[in-house]
Amino acid sequence: MKRWRIPLIAGLAVMMILLSGCSGGGGMRHESWPGLSIDDGTIYAANLESVQALDAKTGSVYWTFPPQPEKNVGPFYATPVLASDIGPHGTLLVAGMKDQKVYALQLADSPQDLPEVQWVFTEAAGQYVGSGVVAGDLFIIGNGDGHVYALDINDGHLIWSFGTGDRVWATPVVKGETVYVASLDHHLYALSLADGEEQWNTEMEGAIASTPVLAGNSLWVGDFANTLYQVNAESGAIEWQQTFDDWLWATPLVQGTTLYFADVGGKVYALDTTTHAFLWEKPADVGAMVRARMALDEQNHRLFVAGYETGKIYVVDTQTGARLDWGEVVDDPGELPADLVLSDNTLYVMPVISKTRIRAFDAHTGKVLWAYPPAESK
Amino acid sequence: MWDAIIVRPIINILLVLYKYLGHETIIAVTLVTVIIRLAITPLTLKQQKSVRKQQELKPKLDKLQAKYKDDKEKLAQAQMELYKTEGINPAGGCLPLLIQLPLMIGLYQGIIRSLAATPLQLLALSKDIYHWIPGLSSLIPLQSKFLWLDLALRDPYYVLPVLVFITAWIYQKMVTPPATDPQAEAMNKQMMIMMPLMTAFFALSYASGLAIYFLVSNLVGILQYLLFKEHYATSAVQKKS
Repeated sequence: MKRWRIPLIAGLAVMMILLSGCSGGGGMRHESWPGLSIDDGTIYAANLESVQALDAKTGSVYWTFPPQPEKNVGPFYATPVLASDIGPHGTLLVAGMKDQKVYALQLADSPQDLPEVQWVFTEAAGQYVGSGVVAGDLFIIGNGDGHVYALDINDGHLIWSFGTGDRVWATPVVKGETVYVASLDHHLYALSLADGEEQWNTEMEGAIASTPVLAGNSLWVGDFANTLYQVNAESGAIEWQQTFDDWLWATPLVQGTTLYFADVGGKVYALDTTTHAFLWEKPADVGAMVRARMALDEQNHRLFVAGYETGKIYVVDTQTGARLDWGEVVDDPGELPADLVLSDNTLYVMPVISKTRIRAFDAHTGKVLWAYPPAESK
Repeated sequence: MWDAIIVRPIINILLVLYKYLGHETIIAVTLVTVIIRLAITPLTLKQQKSVRKQQELKPKLDKLQAKYKDDKEKLAQAQMELYKTEGINPAGGCLPLLIQLPLMIGLYQGIIRSLAATPLQLLALSKDIYHWIPGLSSLIPLQSKFLWLDLALRDPYYVLPVLVFITAWIYQKMVTPPATDPQAEAMNKQMMIMMPLMTAFFALSYASGLAIYFLVSNLVGILQYLLFKEHYATSAVQKKS
């Protein structure tokens, strides 16, 4: 018996180590997905261990914050937000996931120069997953501790905070004097922009991780109970709802009176927001999981859909829902849970589990324009 | 394939238990562990019985080894004959183990996945849910707070890893067959420390929900031993002596 005991112990040890590896144990492992924003030809990207500014045309890096990776800074997943009116050249607001901090970076005169840290907000007790929103002098962001924080962008002081029953991963939405906040506690909240006082809350069936989208006087939001809701932005009353086949996590897109949305199972829908009629005979099934917010081309003819685990971009005809051929096959596509960004006829993607951090495609042809880091430096 | 046959059913059983037992993750994890451990009890006992029989046969096997020490072929023949006469399948301890292990690994993975805490873990979990069972999707993310614990995170006060170590040590001490020679005794001692240390290390390093699984699993194992002592090699040999 002693003969098989040693291999058994060794086997169990190896097995447990392998299992722990499968479950998120060690090394640099992604916990969320990165995001980027574009302003005036500059990309601001939350690029895990750093935030970077890049030339949107070429992908060349202007600056990296922090210049060298620091153990207690980041990782950065939440999309950076530019408050262009704060500071002489604007202030970039970025949030670290594990360090639980919001950083205000005052941009320099030249886009190539490293910005200066204006202030750091450290009072949140949870991780930042979703991005924030700028409303006047306020930066409003949700946190994993269940709170929404409204900070004065000038000095980083906390103006107000509001507690929900669970993590806030969605980006708050501001309309006029109201902030709308979706929480994993199944509620959608409307708060006063001035002081964070609750105006109403509406309970949904499932957790809400998706950022609501405003269309006229309605908020559209999906939840983990596979349901899409149309909520009256003034009263919080649910005006329409329908359940689909899978979770709704990707933020819907609104174009005129059409709402484009996708479930995690990969079905894409086009809904008339006034009649609640579906525009396509059947949903477009891309055959891959969809988590990322989709993107529309500038003519609103084509809808770009990111396949999460396949790392592919699928293109859907907005008139018919038919799949269109598009794009070249790329090496090491990674996975695509991060929101797609389309600007100036260029589609930007931020893969995870890939050596490429940012890839820019010509939205017309699907040709890769550039990838960061460039192939020779990977 | 592995996910579809083993892990997903376990995740969905856990979710159903969570749904009907007051949305308490700790109760669901405890119950699903107990259910799976009880379900494989016949296999555990069969394996232990086989180990016990092998243990009882050891003096005879030693004699054969001494007798045919220069002729391996004859030794193998004699051993096979002995197994046949005694009605023992020498691989009898392995088959139950081969069935138990995937279930235990599946249970481990199912619990870890159900306790998804980060966005990517939750996204992965969405694939595992049976959307055809009404109301399961809306349960996610599971409520993970219990006393001082967040079951999706490590125990900040190390209470669970200590409990896991103690129970694993007791269990290991109970089920380790008595040594028949000094080499085996040294190995037993090593195993009695190594196995509890290893599980305690995992309980320390990963979500406390996993530590609950280890703890409950050890307690069920101890209970099984107390109820079915006669199947275990330790008691059998003790009785003989």
